[in-house]
Amino acid sequence: MQKSKKIVILGHFGVGKTSLIRRFVKNSFSDKYKVTIGVHISKKVVGFGSGETISMILWDLEGTDDIRMIRNPYLLGTHGAFFVFDVNRPSTFQNIQEDLAVLSKKMPEVPLLIIGNKVDLVNQDDLNILLKENDISFDFLTSAKTGEWVEDAFLQMATLLKDA
Amino acid sequence: MDEKDRLEIIKDILFTDDREYIEKISERIALLEKTVNEKERLSSKVDPIIENQLEEFTKSIPTTLGPTITETLREQIRTQRDEVVDALFPILGKMIKKYIAQEMKALSEKIDSQFDFISKWKIRLKALFSGKKKKELLLQQLASAKIEQVLLIEKDSGILKASYSKTKTIDEEMVSGMLTAIKSFVEDAFNQQNQSLELIEYELYQIHLQSFVTHYMAVVISGPYGLKSKNRLQDLIFDFYNRYMAMNVDLVVDFPVLEKKTKKADKRTIERELASSFGNAKI
Repeated sequence: MQKSKKIVILGHFGVGKTSLIRRFVKNSFSDKYKVTIGVHISKKVVGFGSGETISMILWDLEGTDDIRMIRNPYLLGTHGAFFVFDVNRPSTFQNIQEDLAVLSKKMPEVPLLIIGNKVDLVNQDDLNILLKENDISFDFLTSAKTGEWVEDAFLQMATLLKDA
Repeated sequence: MDEKDRLEIIKDILFTDDREYIEKISERIALLEKTVNEKERLSSKVDPIIENQLEEFTKSIPTTLGPTITETLREQIRTQRDEVVDALFPILGKMIKKYIAQEMKALSEKIDSQFDFISKWKIRLKALFSGKKKKELLLQQLASAKIEQVLLIEKDSGILKASYSKTKTIDEEMVSGMLTAIKSFVEDAFNQQNQSLELIEYELYQIHLQSFVTHYMAVVISGPYGLKSKNRLQDLIFDFYNRYMAMNVDLVVDFPVLEKKTKKADKRTIERELASSFGNAKI
């Protein structure tokens, strides 16, 4: 039996939320930046070895500098969430602890994965120092451009939701 | 051994029982003091009594306080009619307003159809301004609305529960998500907590949205969609939803009161029901 799960992708403006979804769903990438207005819905069916499938309904929410300003109705009935930040723009992760606290209050008991995106634009050593200095915990460091760890992040979410 | 000591020995012999009795009383007083002064000990003794009394009190409310409450309410309604109306208006007012608006529209449609002469001129004028032929406009008026697609959607998540479609269109799960997003946006943006988006129109189609508590239904309609069609469609939706609720007993009945766990209707069953309800329905 196929289950359907609602997954929201959240984060500041221009961190690459839409690009991550495009990479995962269509395996493509575009350098042209088009701002998401409101919400954009995509879908991908993920299969498991057991024959089970999950239909991931991905809600790409417009970016916001203040995570508290997200329209609450968009978050209702969410089964899983991603918080995306841009490893090159400190403003997108400087307040990450506060942002995550807000999100866990808005969506209690919803699995949340943290993604640092655009790793292709930064040197690995510099990135390690940056993350350590800012004490940032993350689940995946991805590049929507190269596809690095993108599929893994979404599959991890699918696995989390499979038995939920 | 002096006299005082001897007296003490005699007292010891004579009052042994009394002393033991006094000691026992002292011990009991100490235990009682301890019980009263220690919150936990006291509550273990007192709580069951209070609970029992409360239970008795709750049970007796309908007989003891019931008549007084009823009388007070009756009196309040009699003396403060305006306040009561104020409190009920948001609920009743909206229902009445909606009913009157719908009935007015129906009346207006009826009057329109009765004024044949006027309607003929209306068509002539419409044809003149729109550039369409009179025949075309008349045919358009005669044609009835058709149900093209029905989606049963979970209200919060936008997850598609079941669907019926005459022809396969774009991904229904994505459409359900998008409709839910639009609905959420409109309802949130206009800050109308108790009102919901009811109709989305685009060139050839109209989407009628009917909200319930946990789900909503989106029905895609082609052709002219007037108030008569709307009333018929609403009847169909309400009939179907009643059957859907009955199929999913857990939506209406609290599980612990049932001996056996009732199985929820699966997607196929709901889709069969959707097809039989809406497939050949005329609106």
